Amino acid sequence: MAVSDKILKRSIDPSVHQMLARAEELGLETAWDRYEAMLPECGFGELGVCCRNCNMGPCRISPFEDAGPKRGVCGATADIIVARNLIRMIAAGAAAHSDHGRDLAHTMLLTAEGKGGGYEIRDEQKLQALAAEYNISTEGRSKEETALALARAVYAEFGKQEGPIQFSRRAPQKRVGLWQKLGIDPRGVDREIVEIMHRTHIGVDNDPVNLILQGLRAAIADGWGGSMIATEISDVLFGTPKPTRSLANLGVLKADEVNIIVHGHEPTLSEMIVAASRDAEMLALATKLGAKGINVVGLCCTGNEVLMRHGIPLAGNFLQQELAVITGAVEAIIVDVQCIMPALGNLTGCFHTKFISTSPKAKFPGATHIEFHEEQAYDIAKEIVRLAVENYRWRKPGQVVIPNDKVECLVGFSTEAILAALGGSLDPLLEQIKSGAIKGIAGVVGCNNPKVQHDFGHVYLVQELIKNNVLVVTTGCNAIACAKVGLMLPEAAAQAGDGLKAVCQSLGIPPVLHMGSCVDISRILTMCAAVANALGVDISDLPVAGAAPEWMSEKAVSIGSYVVSSGIFTVLGTVPPVLGSSAVTELLTSGAKEVVGAAFAVEPDPVKAAQLMIGHIEAKRTALGI
Amino acid sequence: MEQFEGPFLLVDPQRCVGCHTCELACAAAHTQAGSIIGAVLAQERLHRRNRVVQVEGVKLPVQCRQCQDAPCVRVCPTGATYRTETYTAVDQARCIGCRLCMMVCPFGAIHVATTTVAGQEKRAAFKCDLCVDRPDGPACVAACPTKALSLRYPRQEADRASQAAARQFLEALASQPQLCS
Repeated sequence: MAVSDKILKRSIDPSVHQMLARAEELGLETAWDRYEAMLPECGFGELGVCCRNCNMGPCRISPFEDAGPKRGVCGATADIIVARNLIRMIAAGAAAHSDHGRDLAHTMLLTAEGKGGGYEIRDEQKLQALAAEYNISTEGRSKEETALALARAVYAEFGKQEGPIQFSRRAPQKRVGLWQKLGIDPRGVDREIVEIMHRTHIGVDNDPVNLILQGLRAAIADGWGGSMIATEISDVLFGTPKPTRSLANLGVLKADEVNIIVHGHEPTLSEMIVAASRDAEMLALATKLGAKGINVVGLCCTGNEVLMRHGIPLAGNFLQQELAVITGAVEAIIVDVQCIMPALGNLTGCFHTKFISTSPKAKFPGATHIEFHEEQAYDIAKEIVRLAVENYRWRKPGQVVIPNDKVECLVGFSTEAILAALGGSLDPLLEQIKSGAIKGIAGVVGCNNPKVQHDFGHVYLVQELIKNNVLVVTTGCNAIACAKVGLMLPEAAAQAGDGLKAVCQSLGIPPVLHMGSCVDISRILTMCAAVANALGVDISDLPVAGAAPEWMSEKAVSIGSYVVSSGIFTVLGTVPPVLGSSAVTELLTSGAKEVVGAAFAVEPDPVKAAQLMIGHIEAKRTALGI
Repeated sequence: MEQFEGPFLLVDPQRCVGCHTCELACAAAHTQAGSIIGAVLAQERLHRRNRVVQVEGVKLPVQCRQCQDAPCVRVCPTGATYRTETYTAVDQARCIGCRLCMMVCPFGAIHVATTTVAGQEKRAAFKCDLCVDRPDGPACVAACPTKALSLRYPRQEADRASQAAARQFLEALASQPQLCS
């Protein structure tokens, strides 16, 4: 199929080109079309100088020296407005991750009480380790009793008033001391989010630095609290990921099977959908209706969760959600929370595809709502799978276009799996870093954003890093982008610099390690803390760097903030809405170094971004004397 | 008599931040209610006569240039589009929605949309009328938060430019006496 230049410019992924051409042929719009229709986007919003926090406004500060207002009605300057808006984004992002963590804690509580409709404690070893971290005695306790005590302790983290959040104590003592000194050691997950909403109310906190410090405190409560809880409890309930092989890209959809897509973020429902899709009754029903089987595939972070633990194939990342539906081969797209485009309602209306929402927190126009309750998890999952299988009858084979693109990947690198690959200790990794075979470690994460050519920011940044012997750990939509181009195969070591190549080849690992979903960036924090503790230094001393080349969500703002607060230099590929305040911009890109030992940079060119990260890593190596 | 030089809207693209406020102000100025909130409450149709576009990252509003020899006037088969002393007008009662004016406008500044004329729903052309009925002048100019828009009178602009050039020439003469010889 001939593809126009316009389509080629939208993505580097040929499956996306094919499906965008198909969308054009069918007269269907996608996020890229809606983005174009949105141009020009409002400059006040881009600069972050629009304030809607009270009804004397909306106010906006003119970016021009000689024209327009310089203060809002209350007198707020651009610096105040930008800082308030930024930390409200952090609050939303931290709330999203942490509420996800809370849901997992709730599921563990129900499971421990014997009320979980099909869940069990899969990783007892991790349960014991976490209990020990919480000082919960396991002696004479059944695993359910331990899990109950742990669930209650973890649940309490959200509503704590005085802190500390237990997992934050995984950070090196020096880092915790710094947080305490700055007054940004979180007291409780919910408290810090609520306090942002209070401080940004009209007439409360009007000091940009004080505002941003609170933003960092909430972000730390996310990374070392809500997100880390989500990761750890998911591992206890569903198993800690181990290396496993799978496939990625739209070609994982099958022409002759019932295709079910799980999309969103939490593993709670998707785990049960996977189980129900293997139910003999469902398989028999599928056969009866002429399908060769039931094919569950994932999108976004729910996809990453079931990929990491069960090798469930990935259909794609954020910007591919509409394209998956446009294949005409999807019987049901089942969603929970976060990053689900409301556009799916109208779009699925053009196909036989059922759009099934499941969370009481997230309803969508055009969706069938089948509410998910953990107590009847398996039964509800089976009902949803049944709906999908029965829908196979209505598929129009003549309308099905599935791209051939699918690439193999080796995934499942939890911190524990990385340790196991290293032979049980971090030492071999540290030796390779000290010797310079591996220059450093980069965490590359984040979303898709039509402002950036899809996957271009992700893939070229990661390729440049590994070429320069920087080991890449990744999560979220970056991980999916890497999987789709084969960077997650051990053979991809051939694309790495000589040092990294040798290490990967000797361990049989890819140069780009998939660590999970976006809450699993907490795994990267845990690993950095372990490395820093092993070396007796702070995280900010390590030859590590972070990047979010195609970020768009508020969660990404929270992530960037907790990564920087943890002492890790972070490069953003799209500009955050802060440029309206030179003071806030200066603080984030430079001043923060003096405060938390790390700062942000913005660099849309992925190769230049990689060079910034490599430069930072080199400087840290020199400072460490290695 | 010398022909009157009607005014037009001038845009400074360096000042436009693409906030679309001018579009809202335009639409509001042409409602009964006179405000966006009032019009929404009264369920009035909102039509903008201008459009903010983006070219190569530069944002700017586009609207009618009030051409003196306007293709839209020439092409209009019913005489609905006509030239007044100050601007190029549309009489929506006579407009048949044929869209020829849309086709020939080199600025893409005319569009046809559904409206109500004398109690009847119909399709008719919309274009900038410089808010001639608005005592304070064009609503978009007043609304622009960065002062990217201004109403300019070409004759006055030309006079100002020739005055300035003449002054500069005289100053040059004064400082360079050899030019006088």
